[in-house]
Amino acid sequence: MTQADVRGSIEVAGRTITRGEVEDFLYEEADILDAWNYDGWFALFEEGARYEVPTTDYRGWSLHAGGSFVDDDYDLIKARVKRLKSRKAHAENPHSRTHRLVSNVRLFPGEEDGTLRIRASFVVHRARDGQFDTYVGWYEHVVVPTDEGLKYRLRRTILGHEALPVGARLSFIL
Amino acid sequence: MPSEASERVAGPMLVEDWEQLTFRVNREAYRSPEIFARERVNIWLRTWLYLGHETEIPNANDFKVRTIAGRPLIFCRDADGEVRAWLNSCPHRGTVLCRENEGSQKRFQCFYHAWTFNNDGTVAAIPDDGAYEDVASLQQNMMLRSVPRLEIHEGYVFISFNPDVPPLLEHLGDAADYMTMIEQQHASGVTTLPGVQLYSVRGNWKLAVENAMDGYHFSPTHNTFVGYLRESGFAVTDDNQFAYNLGNGHSLLVLTGHGGRISMIWEPRFGEAEKVRTEEHRAEMVERLGEERAHYVADESHILFVFPNLLLFDIEGLSIRQLEPVAPGHTDVRAWQLVPREEDPESRALRMKTVVSFVGPGGLATPDDIEAYEAVQRGIEATKGAGDLDYSDMSRGMRDEVKGEQGRSIDEGAMRGFWREWEQVVDGGLEVTGTRPESFLEGRNVR
Repeated sequence: MTQADVRGSIEVAGRTITRGEVEDFLYEEADILDAWNYDGWFALFEEGARYEVPTTDYRGWSLHAGGSFVDDDYDLIKARVKRLKSRKAHAENPHSRTHRLVSNVRLFPGEEDGTLRIRASFVVHRARDGQFDTYVGWYEHVVVPTDEGLKYRLRRTILGHEALPVGARLSFIL
Repeated sequence: MPSEASERVAGPMLVEDWEQLTFRVNREAYRSPEIFARERVNIWLRTWLYLGHETEIPNANDFKVRTIAGRPLIFCRDADGEVRAWLNSCPHRGTVLCRENEGSQKRFQCFYHAWTFNNDGTVAAIPDDGAYEDVASLQQNMMLRSVPRLEIHEGYVFISFNPDVPPLLEHLGDAADYMTMIEQQHASGVTTLPGVQLYSVRGNWKLAVENAMDGYHFSPTHNTFVGYLRESGFAVTDDNQFAYNLGNGHSLLVLTGHGGRISMIWEPRFGEAEKVRTEEHRAEMVERLGEERAHYVADESHILFVFPNLLLFDIEGLSIRQLEPVAPGHTDVRAWQLVPREEDPESRALRMKTVVSFVGPGGLATPDDIEAYEAVQRGIEATKGAGDLDYSDMSRGMRDEVKGEQGRSIDEGAMRGFWREWEQVVDGGLEVTGTRPESFLEGRNVR
């Protein structure tokens, strides 16, 4: 598989996508999530998109050959957003404070035409209930360039932990 | 100044008053290191504990490493296919023998001095053993240390650190049949899948037990999930649903109004194709199990607690949850998906998605349960040392209990059954005012 060229750009369906554009997309999402703008977050997905978080023992099995932490189709992403906006989502009311760092961004051609695969690392810090938790891992996203910018077809978060540490439930978006 | 651990725990752990109809649990039970230490000896080192499912290690030489009751273990299938549980500690100097989490191998070698053991526990090699006087007896004495007891029911592997524990089926009692009912759902049987949810909560393990046996919390705590179900065209109800004490601390919620059951009870969010498959499978069940048994296996959701560390969620789909207490305010939780061995790929995808959407730390419901245990664990600090105020109330449904009426899933009778067993085993101290009713109902025979 070819990686982005030295200038960090890649051709997708006749368009040139630069690493800068992808980084801006990821940084913007980090701000949206840290600001608890869940409608803004949902708008980053194309219709039919998926959001997945495999379990910490994940070893590359195909979807549904193993369990996961998050296995959301588009309707469930919508339900998750609706829930997180509700005052009755007790695990996130009051909201966690999060702070996200995104780095090591790399671009690859997607398996499907017109798509782009993004690999990036993250550190998410989360403060709540007098506790401070850290989540680390990497993203394996599939995005589609559209007239309104990049959109998720698959948003995939892979944890670097051996297990979710104490207190580190995934009640917010990782 | 005495340390907190050495202070005597004040007051009885349980206070039952059958005149005032109150049942109260001393909050020290959730936070006292002394009680935690007593539980470790009286419960965790004395009774049967759920170790894992046979299907986690399907082939000869497969192994998983797992800590149970604080003890690191190797759960494996030996070269002859027999299921074993070894202490994960080299008999030589105590080093952790197997430092991989899982894998497949015939031998375990300690890296420290290269002592090597076969997975049936026998010594394979002790380097330079000529330095010992009697190699044959050395090899005999240095076999891997086995957990004293291991028995299997329907694929669920249980162990006990107590060599004199009664047989597993005696311990399981009426709970055993609910495990059989899960196995009977599909002609092909069920299997666990990889992809284990491993997470920890800042709460006492008994709060996790209470939460699972507490139908009362469902509507308020899971308000957003109930809303999601309603929008998808399924109305949730708590009417005519009951809780049962099955004896030995085991308990059961029988739920018939909480949502569909994949391949058994269809609901709109499952889609039209699944409706056809559900009808076919339901007919096959009647043929295989008979009308009445098929009804109990298919038409009811069950949440089963097997004392002290196993929860089986036989709800929209199937999931196994294991509790591992680490400290009074810290519990490790492990959850496995249990699926039919043979299943239509679309049904499988639906099953996985549906179960994960509800259950687990990334679902739409479990995070609110975790929030509840953690908020209780923090909140009870407020009444520490406050005598009579330092008790939690679990009286709901006692009014019906004295009349001999079966406790509802939205009452607290299943929790009372758990706490009674806990108090007896831990010897926590019990104060009873008035007379416990004869009517206290146990068991439920659907065989």
